[in-house]
Amino acid sequence: MLVPQILANGLLLGGLYACIAVGFSLVWGVTNIINMLHGSFIVVGAYAAFFAYQTLGINPFVTLPVIAALMFGIGYLLQRTVIRRVIGATVLITLTLTFGLNLILENALLVAFKADYRKLNLAHPLGVIDVRDYVDWLDVVVPVDRLVCTLVAVILVVAVYLFLRFTNIGRAVVAVRMDGRAAALMGVEVNHIYAITFGIGAAIAGATGTLLSVIFPISPLMSSSFLGKSFVICVLGGLGSVPGVLVGGLTLGLVESFGAAIVGSEHSLTISFALLLLLMVVRPTGLMGTRAFQ
Amino acid sequence: MIFKAYLRLATVLVHSAVFVMAGGAYAEAPSIRIGAPLPLTGPLSPEGTKLKQGYDLWVQEVNAAGGISVGTDKRRVELVYYDYESNTPKAVQLAEKLVNDDKVDFMFAPFGSGSTKAASSVAEKYGIPMIASTASSVEVYDQGYKNLFGVFTANDTLTEPIAELVSKKFQNIKKVAILARNDLYPLALAQDFSKSAIKRGLEVVVFEKYAIGALDHASALTQMRAARPDWIIATGYVNDLILIRKQMADISLRAPLITMINGPAYKEFIDAVGPLSENVTSAAWWHPTAKYKGDDVFKSAENYTKLFIAKYSSDPDFTTAGGSLIGVVLQMAIEKAGTVDRAKVREVLASSKFETFFGPIAFSSVGQATSYTPPIFQIRGQKSFVVHPPEIASGELQLK
Repeated sequence: MLVPQILANGLLLGGLYACIAVGFSLVWGVTNIINMLHGSFIVVGAYAAFFAYQTLGINPFVTLPVIAALMFGIGYLLQRTVIRRVIGATVLITLTLTFGLNLILENALLVAFKADYRKLNLAHPLGVIDVRDYVDWLDVVVPVDRLVCTLVAVILVVAVYLFLRFTNIGRAVVAVRMDGRAAALMGVEVNHIYAITFGIGAAIAGATGTLLSVIFPISPLMSSSFLGKSFVICVLGGLGSVPGVLVGGLTLGLVESFGAAIVGSEHSLTISFALLLLLMVVRPTGLMGTRAFQ
Repeated sequence: MIFKAYLRLATVLVHSAVFVMAGGAYAEAPSIRIGAPLPLTGPLSPEGTKLKQGYDLWVQEVNAAGGISVGTDKRRVELVYYDYESNTPKAVQLAEKLVNDDKVDFMFAPFGSGSTKAASSVAEKYGIPMIASTASSVEVYDQGYKNLFGVFTANDTLTEPIAELVSKKFQNIKKVAILARNDLYPLALAQDFSKSAIKRGLEVVVFEKYAIGALDHASALTQMRAARPDWIIATGYVNDLILIRKQMADISLRAPLITMINGPAYKEFIDAVGPLSENVTSAAWWHPTAKYKGDDVFKSAENYTKLFIAKYSSDPDFTTAGGSLIGVVLQMAIEKAGTVDRAKVREVLASSKFETFFGPIAFSSVGQATSYTPPIFQIRGQKSFVVHPPEIASGELQLK
């Protein structure tokens, strides 16, 4: 029976997808900026983890918070200096700006690291959990690194949700999303909040890159794949909904996994984009989308 | 006013410098200009960079020796290249530009089968010999062109020897599972593998294709695991194969024999998968440990490897060596013809056999090399060893 293994594959892939998209969704949802830099931020995180491990021998799960903090700083500064100039502008302007910045970053990465593919190899790989050792009839093998990434993705999503819900800054972020002018009248420093949101997006992207460096081969050219997935997941899950990212990621993972098993792996990308088109017709707000941020 | 005077002075100086340089150049025989469209950016940039390294090393060695001997003259080599951004139509445009604007004497083809086939029409139109380093699919050579010469043998020269070796040596290998990138060369190669296996009585239990740019192979690999194959074959490029090898371990998919093409020939593959590279077999058109000796500027595979490491501090592979090889072959043809007359050089290319560091090179009537057997190799202890053909082998094929 292949179904349990394909289900496990889909859920684990979905966890990674949610991880890839959560920062992107937050920035898009709150500041209404489609951050084309997101994929490259993930790649930067992955390279940082790679070099920290290769030269200093620090485990990526240890470097994760450091890289996230550094990326927060970079994201915050970038927003305060460049991106804030296009807040409130039309989508085309914001898209062009982040697209241009992404071209610069991607080519800088190409110059710095070349296009060679690298992969972080843990001296002690995390290995796999063979479920048959515990449950005789269940033929499922779970790779521990993907499982950890999925768990971290869930933690990140929950943390972002709680942050938005229960902290002063989080409430301010939501307030700015709902009505920037009213929030400003209530004493919220809007520019600061935008920059914090962008910083959080960058931090999560950096953390994601750190996790992915253990799983995927990394190269500057990977950024567009991550960005493409982020788009699909955000639209599937619903823009501006943090739990929606988790739902969108898991849905995409499961659809691709079962789709590949049923009609062949070469069609898995076609299936995910067909699903996207279908959803845009049937339910344009996404599976969990709401008009305003909660 | 003072500024204008300076400007005038600078102009005069620049003019005289140009005059001196031009005068210097005209004192000796003009250099031989070779046009090369290269994919230096875009998805093929790792391969494009490797090719350029191969070209540059050859140019450096030839010019260090004074240039190519043309009759009694020595003529230096000048490479004129442009980046075609991994975009085939642009490679064709740039080939036209190299002919019409840069007035090159000879041409090197772009990377891979598809863009070589496209750009070869330009070479044919202007009657310029074009040598291709990395076009192995037979479809490239079916247009009846007289000016295209490819140094890589056909895809089935990789699959046939492996299948023969395996079926002779290991009778217990019966079930084969194949995973192929859904792309011209990797898919053609996988189909050749399937044919070579079936011909020898092996059973192909799974044949799966994956999309270009796929980030996940778990479903296909899960189906493979259920079929319990003895031999797993995966085709694609280095990033695909790194991910596939890693995901095979992720779902505990194992087999006594694992063959992957192209990837394990590159050091990045071994670095990236680490211990998982153990026992992976592959084949490529050249390998640094192949024991070939030649009459060319590099003299032997061993010496080529030494020179390459000295220049780039990294190991050469079949792509870099293919880049250097086409320079070597062109040089040997010009020297034998004793002229840079294109028609005469073309005749020499079509009718001669060249002993090179890469192996013996001679072209069939359609212009594709048929004169050597590409080495099969296996990785052990994160180093690779040639296991076939016996005359250049440094180890034997093993099962896990």
